[in-house]
Amino acid sequence: MTAATDLGAHPANRQGVTSRRFLSRLEPYFYASPAIVLLVTVMMVPLVVGLNYTVRDIRILNPFSGGYVGFAHFEAVWHDQNFHNALFNTFWWTVTSLFFQFFLGLMLALLLNRTFPGRRIIQSLVFLPWAVPAFLSGLNWAWMFNPVISPLPHWLFTFGILSEPTNILSDPDLAMWGPIVANIWFGIPFFAITLLAALQSIPGEIYEAASIDGASRRQQFVSITLPFLAPTIAITLMLRTIWIANFADLIIVMTNGGPADSTQIVSSYIFTQAFRRLDFGYASAIAAVLLVLLLAYAVSIIFIRRSLLRET
Amino acid sequence: MKKLLAASLVATAIAGPAVAETNLQLVEVITSPERTKVLQGIVSEFEAENPGTKVEIISLPWGQAFEKFATMVSAGQTPDVVEMPDTWAALYANNGALESLEPYLKSWDGTDKLNARTIEMARSGTGTAYMLPYGFYLRAMFYNKKLFKEAGVEKPPVTLDDFREAAEKVSALPGKYGFCLRGGSGGLNGWAVFGATTAGTDQFFDEEGNSIMSTEAWIKGAQFMVDLYQDGLAPKDSLNWGFNEIVAGFYSGTCAMLDQDPDALIGIAQRMDPNDFGVTTMPKGPNGKAYPTIGYAGWSMFSDSEDKDASWKLIAKLQSRDANLEWSKRVGTLPIYKDAESDPHYNTPQFAGWFEELSDPDVHPLTMPTHLEEFAFFKDSMSIRTSQEALLGRKSAEELGKEWGDYLSAAQKKWLAKQ
Repeated sequence: MTAATDLGAHPANRQGVTSRRFLSRLEPYFYASPAIVLLVTVMMVPLVVGLNYTVRDIRILNPFSGGYVGFAHFEAVWHDQNFHNALFNTFWWTVTSLFFQFFLGLMLALLLNRTFPGRRIIQSLVFLPWAVPAFLSGLNWAWMFNPVISPLPHWLFTFGILSEPTNILSDPDLAMWGPIVANIWFGIPFFAITLLAALQSIPGEIYEAASIDGASRRQQFVSITLPFLAPTIAITLMLRTIWIANFADLIIVMTNGGPADSTQIVSSYIFTQAFRRLDFGYASAIAAVLLVLLLAYAVSIIFIRRSLLRET
Repeated sequence: MKKLLAASLVATAIAGPAVAETNLQLVEVITSPERTKVLQGIVSEFEAENPGTKVEIISLPWGQAFEKFATMVSAGQTPDVVEMPDTWAALYANNGALESLEPYLKSWDGTDKLNARTIEMARSGTGTAYMLPYGFYLRAMFYNKKLFKEAGVEKPPVTLDDFREAAEKVSALPGKYGFCLRGGSGGLNGWAVFGATTAGTDQFFDEEGNSIMSTEAWIKGAQFMVDLYQDGLAPKDSLNWGFNEIVAGFYSGTCAMLDQDPDALIGIAQRMDPNDFGVTTMPKGPNGKAYPTIGYAGWSMFSDSEDKDASWKLIAKLQSRDANLEWSKRVGTLPIYKDAESDPHYNTPQFAGWFEELSDPDVHPLTMPTHLEEFAFFKDSMSIRTSQEALLGRKSAEELGKEWGDYLSAAQKKWLAKQ
């Protein structure tokens, strides 16, 4: 009898415990649900729609005529010489811009991390390019390279960098340097801000201890500053790479991809296909390829960052 | 304050619907502040003449107008009336977006006063008037008299050979060039003019739909352009030049010859002494004929306009003789009315260049194949990249002609199959 009551009471009790456990496990998801709903509606839905376009023939003026075309767009991308050229330019544009943005930004952060009179004013001035709209800086830089208006080409000529004071934007071998220079100018503040913040979070006692132990400035930089900065560097490099690879504004404003496609990058090529040829299907397919490439890059950087964090 | 606000809200609620019964939307796409002002003037006259009708003007900057307008239309935000460049008309007409203007033209009292070319252009491609041109852009040649004198060029060039010779002489001067080449956006017209002049035809296609651009004679014309650039007869920068750059190149005296439409005259006449430059017929080819391109823009009505009669009334107002004449003067186009050529504005020595060109029996205005849906992309994107490659010597003139010919032949054959 007792056994029977025991048996009868036990499952009910257990049920109560599991449902409470279930609820408590659900609780965080409940709190996170507004964010999840927001993410799904503003990010996932357009992404799925865009991926759906990649297998359809979508022409913007006649969007519903588009039938299913399978992987035809991807096949076309594979054979598209202009895409390959744009991919190569994207690589060149991203690596060069990032390299200079990062090193100049790091130097600036190290300089601004010291105390000197008027530091606050200089700090705020240094961050100015970041506040200028990309379109405006593109226009300004395009003018700076114009020998009729600006002294810059004449200086480059005087220093022997150019054989005559011409506009490098119309020279296919040099044109990419125009948007790259504008992009470096535009992007330095981002690295300066984030790296300066990371520098200031390193406790000063560590440096004091190190100098008592007789470590030189260089040794301190290599053994303290760099390891502390490494995780920030990894994440900022990753973010910036993706941004720069996708960032066609300066190129569109300054060269419109020309001359002869020498400054066409993948994202400006997507723009050309979507809005000049009005072929959204093909443009989406190229965009999907770029997405996969950047995702692969981001995942590898995240792994590197994780291993760096484990070391420190 | 609250009371005032409430009162004014009530007032607008009562008065609002009674005043504005019809709302029309007008999109202009080739914009400049001055142009918009002229348009606003005509539109407010229209509103005064038609109480109860309100017109909202949307101005799209020309640089991004193509994609912005296409996006608007595909999103279902179609205006009632739109400014329609010739290169876009087929794209919208073939996709069923535009209303035929034929029934309206039949009963309009202005139709008879238009010159023949206007009606012909309105119907070009489709055979139905889906737009009514407001003016024409015809290429003629600007030349710098001062530079010619310095270089020892005695008279403006008549043939392609004269043109080349004059370009060589001017380029011999330090820092000066013969030709303001348009290598960047909008450069296609130049290639078409020199190609057609060498080939000696104003037809882009044969009857089967094969493009003339792959023919030997046309390629020779393309080679002529490439040689001008590679031999240093045009500035090195001109590889990337668009409208503003070539016009500036001309009025700053950097280059002595420029092929352009009357709209370039606005900027040039402001900055140059009228005695220092002239306008003449485009150079003639081996068969003694010239083929300057002719382009146009006009007004179109969207087929899903809710009040088509009011939309037509607005177009008729914009195209009425006085409004149109004012418009073409300010915008820099050749007029569409038969009697407008006698207007004092068009009686200057510069404008005479265009009218001479038009009356010359050996000049055949060249209409670009704007009836093709694929043309807008060809003109704004593909032709720029590939022609720059040819100018740089990365692609031969044959390859260029073949690539263009293949693209346009396919488009033309697709179009022929639909007829």
